[in-house]
Amino acid sequence: MRRPARKSRKILVTRRIFLGTGILSLLYPLYAFIGFRLPRKPQRIEVAKQILPGQFRLFPNFILFARENRVWAVSRKCTHLGCTLHYVEKDDLLECPCHQSRFSTDGRLLNGPAKVALKTYPVEVRQDPPFYIVTL
Amino acid sequence: MTMKTLAGNLLTVKWGAWSLVCLYISLVSGVLVALQYDPAAAYYSTAAMDLLVPFGQYFRSLHFYSSQFFFLLAIVHLLAVYRSTDSYTTAQWGRLIATLPVILLLLFTGYILRADSTGASAGAIAEAILMDIPILGPAINSVFFSITDHGMQRVYVTHIISFDLLWLALAWEHLRRYRIRLTDYLPAAGLVLLFSVFVAAPIDPEKLGVTYIAGPWFFLGLQELLRYLSPLVAGCIFPASFIFALFLARKPHRFFNAIFIFLVIWLLLYLVLSVLALLH
Repeated sequence: MRRPARKSRKILVTRRIFLGTGILSLLYPLYAFIGFRLPRKPQRIEVAKQILPGQFRLFPNFILFARENRVWAVSRKCTHLGCTLHYVEKDDLLECPCHQSRFSTDGRLLNGPAKVALKTYPVEVRQDPPFYIVTL
Repeated sequence: MTMKTLAGNLLTVKWGAWSLVCLYISLVSGVLVALQYDPAAAYYSTAAMDLLVPFGQYFRSLHFYSSQFFFLLAIVHLLAVYRSTDSYTTAQWGRLIATLPVILLLLFTGYILRADSTGASAGAIAEAILMDIPILGPAINSVFFSITDHGMQRVYVTHIISFDLLWLALAWEHLRRYRIRLTDYLPAAGLVLLFSVFVAAPIDPEKLGVTYIAGPWFFLGLQELLRYLSPLVAGCIFPASFIFALFLARKPHRFFNAIFIFLVIWLLLYLVLSVLALLH
């Protein structure tokens, strides 16, 4: 009586191992398919209008500042949880509307809960339109 | 009328059936809204629905409020029938409890999809929370959100297909047992249809100088907690602890009283956090 029971248990275990391995081997292509990201081209944003010293211009992903002889672009993505930062003109700083992290206009962290400074992007300044090319 | 008879009357209302009526309306109005919604131009198409599409504002409002009522009535239904759930097996109970976070995630992805300032922030926060989960987080984000890489495409699929199928799979056995006829609940359907005529669904266009964005009402406590704790703890472990406690909260459980106290404290804490979030 014992032999067939042991045999059927063995078959069951073998079947489970077979099914388990099958499912696991199916998961890899699924993971690879879903997780694939098309390599991103660097985005070049052309700014046609000139920005006078002391002024700024808001874009969806960055802010372009012009001060004296310098023009720079700083990311609007908060390094805490990714909300879009706003420029608070009267305090001359960037503030997150979600948790009020604050950053200086050149991206330095002033107040948490964020812990990391903002990204800055290279700006090519030109004499003719487009006057600025920002590479993201 | 004494408090006891009032409570008795409230328990006899078929909250589950009312909730299901709202779900039906939400599904039908969701199909209509999806016909005009474009994930590639999410905010533009949502705003266009409110401003340009004939009756667009009404159907968006109907979808929004029927979904909110569905969730709220499902909670009331759970409270009203809680005493008679002892007969459920652990697996049946577990599946039904799991439907609640799925409904919340459906509401949440709906908020994200409108891509206004609240929606965009909610989406960014959801991604950040998921990416903070070790090992599985990035994969879960890839499947359900991935807003940074794919815009609204995957959230849209999640909202209109994945989470609906998941919810249906979890609730199927329950729905089969308690079928309703829509014609028996015409007053409930009429109330929702009428409510949406008078109250428009919210939309928050991006404005200059905004210093505070409050998330969806059910997300406020979590938004506040994210200020103090890491995304993994505040956005994942803390809400999961409530769901897990709810799963364990069954009369035969040895620590039922302790679990019940935990649930009450958790809810009170969440209420305080939500009020704090509103006061900013």
